[in-house]
This record gives sequence, C-alpha cells and structure tokens, in this order.
Amino acid sequence: MISFKNVSCTFEGGAGIENATFDIEPGEFVCIIGPTGAGKTTFLKLIYMDIFPEEGTVGVDKYRSDKIKKRSIPMLRRRVGMVFQDFELLKDRSVFDNIAIPLHVQGVGMKMVKDEVENVLERLGISDRRDHLPSQLSGGEQQIVSLARALVKDPLVILADEPTGNLDPAASLKVIELLEEINRDGTAVLMATHNFSLVKDRGYRFMQIVDGEVQT
Amino acid sequence: MIDRFLYLVSEGIRSLWRTKTTALATISAIGIAASFVVFSAVVGENISGIIQIARGQYEFQVFFSKDVDNIRAAELVDQIGAIEGIMSASLITKEEAADIFQREFGENIFDLLEENPLPPGSVLKLRQPKDGRIDVNPIIKQIELVEGVDEVRYQERLISLIERYYEGFFAAVTALAAAILFGTVILISNTIRLSIYARRDLIRILKLVGATDRFVRFPFMIEGILEGFFGSLVAAAVSYGFVEGSNYFLSLFTQYRLVWQFQIVALLVGVIVFFSFVGSMRAVRKFL
Ligand SMILES: Nc1ncnc2c1ncn2[C@@H]1O[C@H](COP(=O)(O)OP(=O)(O)OP(=O)(O)O)[C@@H](O)[C@H]1O
Ligand SMILES: [Mg+2]
Repeated sequence: MISFKNVSCTFEGGAGIENATFDIEPGEFVCIIGPTGAGKTTFLKLIYMDIFPEEGTVGVDKYRSDKIKKRSIPMLRRRVGMVFQDFELLKDRSVFDNIAIPLHVQGVGMKMVKDEVENVLERLGISDRRDHLPSQLSGGEQQIVSLARALVKDPLVILADEPTGNLDPAASLKVIELLEEINRDGTAVLMATHNFSLVKDRGYRFMQIVDGEVQT
Repeated sequence: MIDRFLYLVSEGIRSLWRTKTTALATISAIGIAASFVVFSAVVGENISGIIQIARGQYEFQVFFSKDVDNIRAAELVDQIGAIEGIMSASLITKEEAADIFQREFGENIFDLLEENPLPPGSVLKLRQPKDGRIDVNPIIKQIELVEGVDEVRYQERLISLIERYYEGFFAAVTALAAAILFGTVILISNTIRLSIYARRDLIRILKLVGATDRFVRFPFMIEGILEGFFGSLVAAAVSYGFVEGSNYFLSLFTQYRLVWQFQIVALLVGVIVFFSFVGSMRAVRKFL
C-alpha cells in the first residue's frame, strides 16, 4: 500500500533520507523512531506528497510520486489521515466543525456530514465535547479531536507525527490506545515519535532512521 | 453539489466577517468613489435629455435632390408629413428657395446663374411629447430614407455647443469610471490578500485534508465579490442622496429636476461586481 523504492531526499548539510526501500502493508502499525532531525517528518511528508524525492519513487495506494499530477495530490490526501504534534485545529471553530472539514472538502452532503461526524465523536468518546472550541479542551482532548478529523474520511492510513509530543503521560497513553483501537478496525497507522519508552513493548513494527538510513 | 456550494458561500461570508474592519474600509472606499461616477452619469443622462428637448424644439429643414421638381416635392412633403412624430410639413418650392436665398444673401440667384440650381425642400415641426423628451434621431433616419430626400438639417449651433460640452463631460466621467474600476481591482485584491494571510492556518489545513485549489479559493472569491457588491450598493445609496440633494437645490430657483437613472445603477453594480471578481482572482492567483 505504501512502497518506497530507492528513495533519497536530502537537504543541505547532509540531513534527510537516503536510498530507502521498503513496503508497508494495509492494516500495519508502524512506528518510526529516531533522534530529532533524523528525518521522521521528512519521511511522512514524502508519503502525503508535500515534498518529492530527488531519487527513487514513493507509491501510496495507486499514486506514484514520479507520475502524480498536481491536481491528483488532493485525491491522495483524502485517502490519508494526518495528525500532528501541535494538533493543527482551527481555533475559531467548534470540535464538530473542525472534524467536518475533510468531509466538506470532499463534497459530502450536510446530513451525511452530521451523521459521520457524530459517529466518529462517539467512537472516540468525545461526544460531550461536540460544541466546544479547541481552547476549551485539554491538550489530550485536542489531539483526540485531530485524530477524529483524520479518521472521519475513513483513510487507508493515519500518519501521526509525534502525536504525543505535547501531552502528559496519561494523555499520551490514551492517544496511543486510541490509535491501536483504530488500527484493530483495519486502518494502517504510521507514527513518528522519539518517546521510545512509550511504544517499545507494544508489539509494533519499528523503523529506525539512523544517519539517513531507514532500518526496518 | 448544492451543499458544497452553500458551504463555500458560508465560508466566504465567514471570511468577510472575520476581516470586517478592512472589508468595511474597502466597501466604503469603493462606495464613495463610485458614487461620484454614478452621480456624474445621472447628470450626464439628464443633460443628454436636455439636448434632446432642445433638438425637438427647433424646425427641421429638408432638402430634396436636384432632380425633384415642385410637383414631386409636394408628394414628398405629404409622405414626410405622415411620419410618426411630425406635426407639420410645409413645402418650399424651387422658387421660394430662391427667394430665401435672396433674402439671406442679398443676391438674386438668376443674376449669378442662368438657371435656378436650388432644390425644393420642406420645413418641418415636430410634435412635442408630454414630458418634452424626444429622440429625434429615429425621425431623422426615417426622413432620410424617403426617396428624393438629400439632406436633413436642424438648428445645430446651440445643440452642438451643448453636445460638445457634453462630450467633454462624458469623456471625463468615463476616465473617472475607468480609474475607479482599476482602483477597485487593486483594493479588492489587497483586501483579499490580507484575508488570505489572516487565514493561513485554514488554508494549510484544507490542503492537508485534500482540498482542491478551487475549493480553497472559492470562499475568497465570494468574499471579494461581496465586498464589491456591497460597495456598489453604498454607491447607489450615496448617489441617490446626491441627486435628491441637487434637486432640493434646483428647486430653489428652477422647475427642472434631475431624473434618477436606475439603469445606470444596475450597470454599475454589474460592472463593479465583475471587477471585484477580477481583483479577487488576482489575489488568489498570486497569493494562494
Ligand atoms: N525544507 C527543508 N530545507 C532544508 N532542510 C530541511 C528541510 N526540511 C527538513 N530539513 C532538515 O532535514 C532534517 C530532518 O528533518 P525532519 O523534520 O524530518 O526531522 P525529524 O526527525 O522530524 O525531527 P524532529 O524529531 O525534531 O521532529 C533536519 O536536519 C532538518 O533541518
Ligand atoms: Mg519532526
């Protein structure tokens, strides 16, 4: 479902990813670890095609980095859910409206939007926060909202870039458990983190980025 | 489809509301600037109406071709007299034309030439409509179409004097309108640029969740178009105030009143909305 073939993407000063080749199958839970500046974010950006490799090709679903047209990139992103360290929620919109955005983008009708958002609120246990603004939520709750926004479009894979980076241990564990639950329902998860102790004994597939090399 | 359109329009309105201070400034600037154009155009339309009245009040002189004799001329006069809008038509025979020539120039035409070279003709008076407004051009056209008619003349001196001023005035208004439309494009495009900067977070998130460029741009287009639309409504209201004010002023010493020209306002709204669209387009193309 995701395949890297001899992918190199480097920046000045030698940082980045070099000659990476691997596959990620549907439904996998993969954890990307590595010290800060190792290239974890770069790795995820390659997948949602925010950046493109200098060499090699990245394939996601039916899209290939060397063939994709600019106007197909939005279509690819509709198949991929994204979660970030700093949540990236819109501060002036309610939880409901934030989660609804990906559906509106896809042109889903109002009634359907309501049903699906309520569904995912229920599923992640935050129905009672429906009409709150992000500023009225704890960090952990905000991250769950952003997880809901990623999940609502029923993606092939969720890309999570340090989703627990701004959270205390209890909230971190909660987010990890929700990601596992989502994964059990069949969605692949690709999570970048440097909090190794949090994830080490949970039976994930690990990928480590060391000096630009991706070790799996 | 409808749902998506409604969503995007509501996003546009939301965006307008978010930048309401800037939007208000833009709307007022467009409104006040454009109200001068509307007012000038209304005055222009009224002046052109006056020109028409002036034309209608004078006699027309019709000259027939040289090969028309007096008998044929009498027939032509009947034919012309039957044209809609003409009150009376009287015949000027070749001989009468020669008399007029002598009166005006003090010379007998037969002293200069063997034969009378002057064509017969006709003098017409127009029927005055109740409101005094009359468009003489179609009447002139009809007369000119009559076979045997060589030329139609009407009291041109005063009319063409007014018309010359009117043309200068018209050119000035056109230039002003062009400047304001150009200003509208720049102003709207700047306001939208500010709005785009204010919504960088929204734009980034939309792109991350798979919005097409069109989806991202649409609300900003709506925002710019609404600003232009409201601006032109302000222009309509302000210029209406100008017209009413002028009429009050006129009422102090004349019977004449400016007549409000609704079609000018409608035209203005359309044109400003179009140029706001251009301005918004410019902004989203450049800054998104
Ligand atoms: N657009 C860019 N231009 C130049 N260098 C870049 C760019 N993006 C990333 N880098 C460099 O590439 C390296 C990897 O960056 P990346 O953000 O992928 O690291 P990371 O593993 O996510 O780090 P962290 O754990 O701190 O988030 C860094 O040294 C960074 O400075
Ligand atoms: Mg990173």
